[in-house]
Amino acid sequence: MAGAAADGESYLLLRRGGGLWGVAHAAVRGLSRQGSGYRVEVGQRPLLADEVVGVVTGLRVRPAMAALRRFWPEAACGLAVHETGPLVIVDPASPPRALTAELEPSADEGDGHG
Amino acid sequence: MIEPDERSSGASHLLVRVGGYVCALPLAAVRRVVRALTLHPLPGSAAELKGLAEYGGEPLPVLDLARLVRAPQGANPAYPVTVVVWAGPPEARELVGLAADAALELARLPASAQWQQWQQADTRPRGGGTALLPESGSPLAGFVAGEAVVGGEVVRVVNLEALGGLG
Repeated sequence: MAGAAADGESYLLLRRGGGLWGVAHAAVRGLSRQGSGYRVEVGQRPLLADEVVGVVTGLRVRPAMAALRRFWPEAACGLAVHETGPLVIVDPASPPRALTAELEPSADEGDGHG
Repeated sequence: MIEPDERSSGASHLLVRVGGYVCALPLAAVRRVVRALTLHPLPGSAAELKGLAEYGGEPLPVLDLARLVRAPQGANPAYPVTVVVWAGPPEARELVGLAADAALELARLPASAQWQQWQQADTRPRGGGTALLPESGSPLAGFVAGEAVVGGEVVRVVNLEALGGLG
C-alpha cells in the first residue's frame, strides 16, 4: 500500500490523540460533528477526529519506515510532512485504532444487558 | 549540533549517554546530533517509539534509546538531544532519530573480538545494572551487539543494522 503519492492528490488532515493524520480526500464520503469532535465517513468505518485541520495538496508521501513499523503495528499508506508537522497517511480500508477507538465496543459490552 | 568530519579520523564510534548507560553508535551511521526534535505522538505505538518528528522536511521516527538498550533511567530523563542515524541493513537503510541525554565524544573502540559479546543466555551485562537481553524474536533482538571498555567505562555497542529491517 505504501508508495509515493501522485502530485496534486488532496488529503483531509485531522488531529486525533495528539497526532496529525491524513486521509485521501477522494475517499471521504462525509464529515459531521460528533460530540466535541468530528466524524469522517470513509471506507467501511467512520473515523473520529478531535480537529479538522483542512484539505491540502502536494504532500510528498513516503513509505512508512521499517523501524517505524516495528514499533507501531498499524497499516498506513505512508508518511508526510505538512508545514513542520509529520503525519500518517491513513489507509481508509484499515484505519489505525486511534482513529476508531471510541467506535469499538468494549469487550464486556453487549453481554448481560437485557 | 555535531557533525562527523575530519576530526573524527581514527574514531569508530560516537559515545552517547542515555539514562545510566553509555552507548556506542557506529560513527559511519551517525548523520547528525541536534537538539531534541519536536515530537508528535503516535497513539498505539510501543513505548520504544517516542513519536514522529520533522527533520529536513521529511518525517522521522524518533526512538527511545534508553528503552532500546534497557538502560536504567537517569536523573534527567528529558533526552535533550536527538541523534539522527542511518538504521537498517545497507541496502535498505533509513533515517531514524534516537533520543538521548548527551553526545559525549568520539572514540575508537577495541576490535570487536575484544568485546563482551552478548549471548542469548546473558542476563546480567558486565557493567552491572538490571538490563536483560531481549529475547530472540523480540523487535530489539540483536540491537545491542555487546559491551566494550572505553576509558575504563563499559559502553554498550549498538548495532543499528538490526534496527531497520523486519527480519
